[in-house]
Amino acid sequence: MTSLRRGLRSEWLTTRVQIALGLLFIGAALPKLADPPSFAHMIYNYRLLPGGLVNLPALVLPWFELLCGVALVLGIWNRTAAALLGLLLVLFVAALGVNLARGNAIECGCFDVRDAGKSVTERLHDMRMTVLRDVGLLALVAQILYATQYHEPPSTEHGV
Amino acid sequence: MNVRRHLLEAATLLLVAVVVALVSNGLASRERKLKLPGDYPNATTVTKAAPAGDSSAPEQAVKAESSPATAQQGSASSASKVNREPTPAPAKPRGAAAASAESAPSRKSPVSFSPASPAFDPVAAFPPHPDKPYVEISGEDAARLHAAGVPFLDARRTSAFEEGHVAGARPVSVWESDVDEKVLALIGEQDGKKPLVLYCSGGDCEDSHLLAQKLWGAGFNNNLVYRDGFPDWVRRGGAVRTGTNP
Repeated sequence: MTSLRRGLRSEWLTTRVQIALGLLFIGAALPKLADPPSFAHMIYNYRLLPGGLVNLPALVLPWFELLCGVALVLGIWNRTAAALLGLLLVLFVAALGVNLARGNAIECGCFDVRDAGKSVTERLHDMRMTVLRDVGLLALVAQILYATQYHEPPSTEHGV
Repeated sequence: MNVRRHLLEAATLLLVAVVVALVSNGLASRERKLKLPGDYPNATTVTKAAPAGDSSAPEQAVKAESSPATAQQGSASSASKVNREPTPAPAKPRGAAAASAESAPSRKSPVSFSPASPAFDPVAAFPPHPDKPYVEISGEDAARLHAAGVPFLDARRTSAFEEGHVAGARPVSVWESDVDEKVLALIGEQDGKKPLVLYCSGGDCEDSHLLAQKLWGAGFNNNLVYRDGFPDWVRRGGAVRTGTNP
């Protein structure tokens, strides 16, 4: 158990997880940045936001993913960036879960914002797989947060 | 835990993302730009597709937070100054060919694309329907209306329009920032009571329905949504053009 904890805290592992997660989110952001209207369409398909609020996340979310991804790759503010990406992943899982529960078969728009022309069954299957993938990515976020808590500089808020 | 520092970093990342997003949107080309706020009717209404795995199967509304027409009230674009009474939508197809297509929706019979007979009057066959945003029509009806010179509007993205569109159609993508300008231009050109045929990619594509809601809000009372859209048009051998021109 101690060796597992030591392994999870190792800088070698944490650096590689940070880079992998960062590159993944950079890769996810690029197609959305290239075609914001298609990404807005994807967000609309989730049927969770009022029409007036669809475009703002379509514009901001890709840049947010890109910035957090770059921060992780470069090792800047990595704990904050990992926590924010974890929050995003939780939101993605919740959004997909809601739509799975109500049978709204959609394309997730995670890495591709074009309509792939899949059938309803294929889309529902992809949605379930995406939820599993996002849960796996949350495990990577958890590893970063677990490991970096030991590298935190001491707080100076109270003059310690 | 340095919570304050982390919150500050998170706020900085979010702020930078918002600023860069707004600047890049301001500098984006017409086809990539999004307008703020968005303007999409029925954004929280879920349609449940048939479980058979066919994405082109008819859909059934399972939840309506607001009726389509009610949502349309809010979505009436800046181009719209017309008040409407909320009504249930969509409407049933009309016209002889529409009726036959409804009874046999999977049939894809060859259609004559020769000019419509002089007796065919589009307005008589498809009278205005001010109580609902659109009426769905079949490929046969679309072919007759096309032959009769009824305007076609392509609701897909401009890039898809340029790759191929119904001959004579105009691009009016609901997802691009200039949609209101195009609707405004249409108000000056087109009598709101005359038929307009709107299409997108068929199947579960809703862009033509969204455009119909927008046009209805702007006073167009005769929006005919070509249900099976451009793929059906191509299958039927309809006239197709590529590039930016209609």
